[in-house]
Amino acid sequence: MSSIRPRSAAAYWLAVPAGLWMLAAVVLPTLLILWVSLWGGQSVSPDNPITFDNYARFLSNGSYRALMLDTLAQAAMIMGITGVLGYCIAYFLTVKVTSPAWRTALFLAFVIPFWTSTLIRAIAFVPFLGVNGLLNQALLAAGLIEQPIQAFLYSRLGVSMAQVSLYTLLASGPVVYMLNSIPPALREAAMTLKASPFTVFRRIILPLTLPGIVIGQVLVFLNVLADFITVTTVGGNKLAFLGNLILLFYEGSQIRATAVVSVLLMAVMLAGVAVALRIVDIRKVGG
Amino acid sequence: MAAPAALPQLDLELRDIRKRYGGFTAVDGVSLQVPKGQFVCLLGPSGCGKTTTLRCVAGLEEPDSGDILIGGREVTADPPWQRDIAMMFQDFALFPHMSVAKQVGFGLEMQKKPRAEITRRVAEVLGAFEIAHLADRRPSQLSGGQKQRVALARAMITEPRILLLDEPIGALDYSLRETVMLELKALQKRSGISFIWVTHDQNEAFSLGDQVVVMNHARIEQQGRPEEVLSRPRTAFVAGFIQGNNILRGQAQGARDGLLDIRTEDGSFAVPLNGRAVPAAGSPVSFSVRAERLQEAAADELPNRISLRCTLVEYFGAYRRHVLETRSGATIKWDQFGALPQSVFAGELVTFGWKAEDGVLHA
Repeated sequence: MSSIRPRSAAAYWLAVPAGLWMLAAVVLPTLLILWVSLWGGQSVSPDNPITFDNYARFLSNGSYRALMLDTLAQAAMIMGITGVLGYCIAYFLTVKVTSPAWRTALFLAFVIPFWTSTLIRAIAFVPFLGVNGLLNQALLAAGLIEQPIQAFLYSRLGVSMAQVSLYTLLASGPVVYMLNSIPPALREAAMTLKASPFTVFRRIILPLTLPGIVIGQVLVFLNVLADFITVTTVGGNKLAFLGNLILLFYEGSQIRATAVVSVLLMAVMLAGVAVALRIVDIRKVGG
Repeated sequence: MAAPAALPQLDLELRDIRKRYGGFTAVDGVSLQVPKGQFVCLLGPSGCGKTTTLRCVAGLEEPDSGDILIGGREVTADPPWQRDIAMMFQDFALFPHMSVAKQVGFGLEMQKKPRAEITRRVAEVLGAFEIAHLADRRPSQLSGGQKQRVALARAMITEPRILLLDEPIGALDYSLRETVMLELKALQKRSGISFIWVTHDQNEAFSLGDQVVVMNHARIEQQGRPEEVLSRPRTAFVAGFIQGNNILRGQAQGARDGLLDIRTEDGSFAVPLNGRAVPAAGSPVSFSVRAERLQEAAADELPNRISLRCTLVEYFGAYRRHVLETRSGATIKWDQFGALPQSVFAGELVTFGWKAEDGVLHA
């Protein structure tokens, strides 16, 4: 069997197809969006001068600034909830459930809903959260409420519930992986060194699963920022985040504004990933 | 006070420990007494229950029944962090995210010692274990021997009453093992801490242990000083597990002058009863003779004689091993120590004998 050495001519040639694809599908479109966002002048034309006016105009608008902050606040909230919930689920599945059969069954029950597309899952929340929806009927049947709760659907509460449900797996999966990679003897060694279970968790388990937490948080962060489907279907027209704004400008043929918001959204996402990479070295995960 | 002051204090006492996992019995009525500062080796094949016994002492497993006393205090239901023990794990179980110094200080940190004291003690211990130069390294940057030292330092710094060691040198290169064994033995004597050492390697057990406990099928087969276990294996299992024993099986015939007559397919042999009750005539019994106890010369004057055919001769440096076959096809080994010229060759028919007192009757 022959092997290809890194940095050899053959290695570079093998990287060409993937490189071309990335160039055509990612780099060029991104540069195009960046370019469009910098177009000046009155009419939409490639001959327009380059300017930062579009950004200045967008950022000077108070309601747009508020919407950006609101998007980040929503992401932060969903990250917090899915982070705690996802960690608890991961810890329960890998540490507390000792029977392999039960673990597999519970894990499948947790994962299988995520095999459907995001769009379908988002739409599925409408009959679940609606006035005559499953949740209201269940609460009515249980005698916990007397009137159906309107606020579940077409509200921020509904969107948040849907997003928590949609993205918990993303927060949980990397933690499951990291927990599984911790040898049980480490926990036991700490216990024989007089560490109580809480201390074992704080000093051994939590630091060793930190990369999983951070990766999960990055995934949730990126998905919440990019999510306009859930916001549209579950939030109705009452709610908008940056992703919806892009769609709104695009549908209104405001191509430069669309590009500006897209670039800002990308910048926020990249900043988030950069922060995460400062906390953990993702390349070391699994090593 | 009428307390029996003469009673020696035990570091560890196990009273009839039992542990089952579903249908599998891991530990079946193990009792053990470890006097202060003893080196005890739990020896046995894999799955014999030695590790489960050790984990029960550590508190990592709770026995279904029985009592565990550490330093005279009943701890059976206590969690590991409330027991006066430390443990060394087979693959060392070093914390991958902590430096060597942090790792070694972990136990003291858990005891809420002042920071200055921790720093001082860690420096002392790292020095004593000759790993001071590794203080800032992570476990991934250590060799196997270095990891072993760090794991030992991490366990010893807490000065426990008992150190539990689960195959502590099994993960080391063969060339390192002997050195490490000698160091650990010296360390144990110096520190006065009781070591409970689990191993499947009889060389480790017999060269290290003040007491050797041989286990099989979840039970203790024999416990005693290494010389005792080596020279007087109590059961056929122990005799077979320890290298260099020849085991013969037959029927009890009757006793005379403290010697039991045993009839086998290869002849009748006289074996000392050693205070044991005379087995019923015809009942199946087994006994063993150590390979170096067989005598070729003057076989005619010995009470026990057996005709053999030599099938193989191997030279091991310290001794020469002869593999022989009885007429019924059983294998007998004869070890010749000392640099003597070879006297028995493969293919040869020979008669060997042994003194009556060299036979060991099994329970």
